[in-house]
Amino acid sequence: MVGPGFRDDHILLIAPGSKSTLAQLGLPESFTPAKLRFPTRMFPGLEEGQYLPNKVHELKEGEEMLLRNGEVMTAGPNGKPLKKRKVDSASKPSTTTQTSTDGAAKSADTTMADATDGREANGEEGGDEDEEMNGTKGEGSTSRLFYEDDDDEEGAVWCMDQGRIVNWEAFFALLLHVHETLNPTFHTPILMISQPCWTCTDKERICQFIFEKLKTPGFGMMDAAAAINSAYNVQHSLVIDVGYEKTDITALIDWNIQEVNRTTIPFGGHSMNQHLQKLLPGLSEDEVEQLKRSNICEILPAGVPIPGEEEADRDTVMRPPEPTTIGMGGVAQPKSLDEEGDEEEDEGVTNIAAIVASGKTQEYLAKKEKEKADKKAGLAAGEKRLPNYKRENNSFLYVEKVQDAVVGNGQDLTEVPEGERMDVDVAPSTTEEPKLVEEAPAATGSDGSLPPPSEENRPEVVKTDADNSKPAPEAEPSKGGPSLMESMFSATQDDDDAKRAQEKALRREEKKRQEAAQSGERRREIEVGTERFKVAEGGILEAIADAAHRVVSSADNYNMRSECWNSLIIAGNGSRVKGFKDALLNTIISKYQVSPSSGTIFTSELPSNIPTPSGTGTNTPQPSSFNSQPNALLLQAAANNAALAAAGQHHLSIPQPNQGPSSIKVAKIPEYFPEWKDHGFEECMFLGAQLGAKIYFVTDQGVSKGFVTRADYNSQGPQAIHNI
Amino acid sequence: MASTPQMTGVLPPTTKPAELEYGGDEVSALVLDPGTGTTRCGFAGEDTPKTCVPTYYGIIPDPEDQKYFGKLKIGENPINSVVDGMEIRNPMSDGVVENWEVATEIWRHCIEYRLSSRVEEHPLLVTEPIWNPLKKREKTTEIVFEDFNAPAYFLVKSAVCESFANSKPSALVVDMGHAYTSVTPIIDGIPLRKGSERTPLAGQHLNNQLRHQFGELGIRMAPWLTLKSKSPYTDLATAPPLRTKDFGFEPHQSFLDLQQDRFIHEFKECVSETWPEAKTFPADINNLPDNFRGIADKAFEFPDGYQRRFGIDRFLAPESLFNPSVSPKALTGDLPKGIAEMIKDSIDHLDADIRANMLNNIVVVGGTSLLYRINERLNHELMTMFPGPRVKIHSPGQIPERKYSAWLGGSILASCGAFHQLWISKQEYDEVGANIIERRAK
Repeated sequence: MVGPGFRDDHILLIAPGSKSTLAQLGLPESFTPAKLRFPTRMFPGLEEGQYLPNKVHELKEGEEMLLRNGEVMTAGPNGKPLKKRKVDSASKPSTTTQTSTDGAAKSADTTMADATDGREANGEEGGDEDEEMNGTKGEGSTSRLFYEDDDDEEGAVWCMDQGRIVNWEAFFALLLHVHETLNPTFHTPILMISQPCWTCTDKERICQFIFEKLKTPGFGMMDAAAAINSAYNVQHSLVIDVGYEKTDITALIDWNIQEVNRTTIPFGGHSMNQHLQKLLPGLSEDEVEQLKRSNICEILPAGVPIPGEEEADRDTVMRPPEPTTIGMGGVAQPKSLDEEGDEEEDEGVTNIAAIVASGKTQEYLAKKEKEKADKKAGLAAGEKRLPNYKRENNSFLYVEKVQDAVVGNGQDLTEVPEGERMDVDVAPSTTEEPKLVEEAPAATGSDGSLPPPSEENRPEVVKTDADNSKPAPEAEPSKGGPSLMESMFSATQDDDDAKRAQEKALRREEKKRQEAAQSGERRREIEVGTERFKVAEGGILEAIADAAHRVVSSADNYNMRSECWNSLIIAGNGSRVKGFKDALLNTIISKYQVSPSSGTIFTSELPSNIPTPSGTGTNTPQPSSFNSQPNALLLQAAANNAALAAAGQHHLSIPQPNQGPSSIKVAKIPEYFPEWKDHGFEECMFLGAQLGAKIYFVTDQGVSKGFVTRADYNSQGPQAIHNI
Repeated sequence: MASTPQMTGVLPPTTKPAELEYGGDEVSALVLDPGTGTTRCGFAGEDTPKTCVPTYYGIIPDPEDQKYFGKLKIGENPINSVVDGMEIRNPMSDGVVENWEVATEIWRHCIEYRLSSRVEEHPLLVTEPIWNPLKKREKTTEIVFEDFNAPAYFLVKSAVCESFANSKPSALVVDMGHAYTSVTPIIDGIPLRKGSERTPLAGQHLNNQLRHQFGELGIRMAPWLTLKSKSPYTDLATAPPLRTKDFGFEPHQSFLDLQQDRFIHEFKECVSETWPEAKTFPADINNLPDNFRGIADKAFEFPDGYQRRFGIDRFLAPESLFNPSVSPKALTGDLPKGIAEMIKDSIDHLDADIRANMLNNIVVVGGTSLLYRINERLNHELMTMFPGPRVKIHSPGQIPERKYSAWLGGSILASCGAFHQLWISKQEYDEVGANIIERRAK
């Protein structure tokens, strides 16, 4: 059966990830980042085997529950909440809905058995939730109150672990939830991005579920690496997809995945968190996560020293480290202040490798140096670059900071409100979001040292949040009243060994008090020292670099290895950490790139039966001798021809490769997707999915078997997924 | 008696069998090809294995652990990470399984890694070397049925698979692997024990030779994982200090060896070359005759950044495969025969009437056969030994087909319709016991 004419707007794309699942219905005219983002977790429902997208608290009559905003909700008679938070409808279109008992119960039904049942309550709500607090309060049949709490993650069942599906029931419930949230027509085929580590059996199970429960007319799977590769539209590539708990490394040759050699290593965004956590035992997990996402956390380019530290171990092959610490005035104490984060805000795309390669490192460093000096000199320089509404706070804080700076150059960090955060594993998804992302750096940078929540910038934040219509957004327990307090308490307790523990604790204590009465997102600053530059020093870069080297070195097609190295793609939200990509590239280059002076390029193909004027079999090492030879290219060409001829004569000889890689380059980011430019290409896998869906479902209509049709499924069963 | 199906109907290795040839079997069989270097596993009917896991495993010894005596680290990534106290071992010895507990875990890892979480649903085809003793064959059977609970199973000689993968029902299979180079005559799909030979002159031997050779040259063989970055060599005479990483512990020597094997492997791929002619390799490479023709140097950069140009010495290790007496590192014990000699021995053992057939169908496979120009050398040697136009070497032109030849043959066999009657079912095993393998598959 030839595919039934699918339409652009009737295609469902789902990209499950360990942390969040991206989804979108329909292919827009110009491909966009994923419209919807679901956390990849479910909560055990009220009944066994049920899974809900949100945590549901059950309150008996008279029981109290502390809401995140500090209010207390008490279950009144007949399950009516006595007190609930007023929601400013202008700013927060949360769906605090009172539904009937039936509705609530229904909305809770995400069981497999109940697959086809409508979940109107949840479906609607799913479209409107935002990341801030909201909840669905439903009345129980007796005097019970069900409070659906988006932000509480306690008891959450995460469906995937390092890309592998660990809880199938929950995973299917999630798929169902996604499907119902989007509520596609019956003519909607589904394209799913498959994780590299899914086994064939896994794929069959998913295929079976999709056809039997979701009743789709067509289903296709696209490998994540293939999707990323097709987004970049390169023939050969090495795809490094940095995820939450794992990094997938795949070589693609002629668009084909090198299945045997691909690998997945258990390093990702989460391992960076863990490393930071180790360095900053005073911070809670969530604080660490936000630190990582914040603008001040970055990996400094090679040669730029961590302020206040000797650069003994940050050496590079490129250049000896610069004696910059003195210029920074950070010699007095190890905890020197560095405004690196602020300065980098406009330079998020600085390609350090390019700078290094272009030999302008000195200028670059000098420029940075100057900026730093300006910063130190006074407010003016810093203020120039900041939005107006922040200047005041900045200066106020700056005063405070100056005191620190004089003594210890402390560094401040603001916890960015949730809506603003630079997502690392879960990037912003709506079209509004890019704006948010852009705003985040500004906000962070400037209020690096804001006093407790400024009213000036809050409305702004809230407004953007309001526009943001994510369903079931990532709901980390970050901003919740209770969880925040908890985290602060624990943080305070753990602080004993931190160097500025006392100060920090005091500050936090104070802020906590100040914030206690406030609802909505809170902000407070946490000072971190140079630890923020060490986010990737836990071995993640080396591990990825080494695995990448192994993957390419074991690619069977010798000649294509260098092609792979020349279009390296670093994707995945784990790579959003500032400077990560450059640092990774530098790591790979400094360890694995073969220096071109070795002359391998021009000599290795020379077959030994051609007498050459050089070499008489002596062992004298003569590096770089061939580079200067004018006819090196000719030699190579001749050698290649001779080698081919030789191979023809003596059958069976597979040509010998060169030692590689002699150059490593990052693939060029595709330019014709404006929406993606702002969003960043970390999630370009979704772009690839859209391209793939367009080709498989619309252009191709199933002619080249890009997906499984219902008829295929009926005749072949779940195994049909392997034939596409 | 016939332990393998007829060759009729076997597709060329590059063609994927059509659905119908699965004989209506809904669940595809798994093919497991355990070797000393790597263990290959995948679905029958496909043209490359889905997964290829190193058979080397890491272990952090712990006498408390009753089963493995330590914590196992299986798979490509775990054995390539620096862990305090981790030793690298291999469950295979002599090309056959020695440590069954670990081997079982590795097999399980292979199967569950990318193939299927439900081992018990798939028939399993396992390959074995021809010298696999009865005890081990029975043990394999036991594991497949008891541990994996497979519904059906069969054990095939890897040489048979290799000949099938090259579309030859009769062939003299030369398999140059990691631990052994073996020669096995196959007649109509049946391996002949008489005439099959093996020698440890293979990949591992080359690694050891090269390691020794580099050591002699004073090259610091610091592997990538222990280095932070390359050291800047400005002057090749004086080596700059190594930029080693400080782990706070000393990685185990076996781990370092395995890591060294990685760049040694690269060296084998890019620099090593086989002397293409028999018996003309200079006896003393440090004292070459004046009229000796020029050899193109090839440069190699070691992980620490040291570059060296290799001239005639890059032929040395491969030469030792044919002429073990030139080994840079003197071999202990009896000097084994060179590969060509061994092939000659094998042919000489055969009945005169099949020799011509064998010589005309020499199939050379295995990872070590990818050594540059080794087939030319083999051809030259055999031509010299058996003058006349009879000698013909067949070797797949595609790298994966060489490396995964045994697996590929297994894949073809297990997906071929005629093979279905050969499976040993769980029921038969339950009735007869592990000895069923000797009755059904000789």
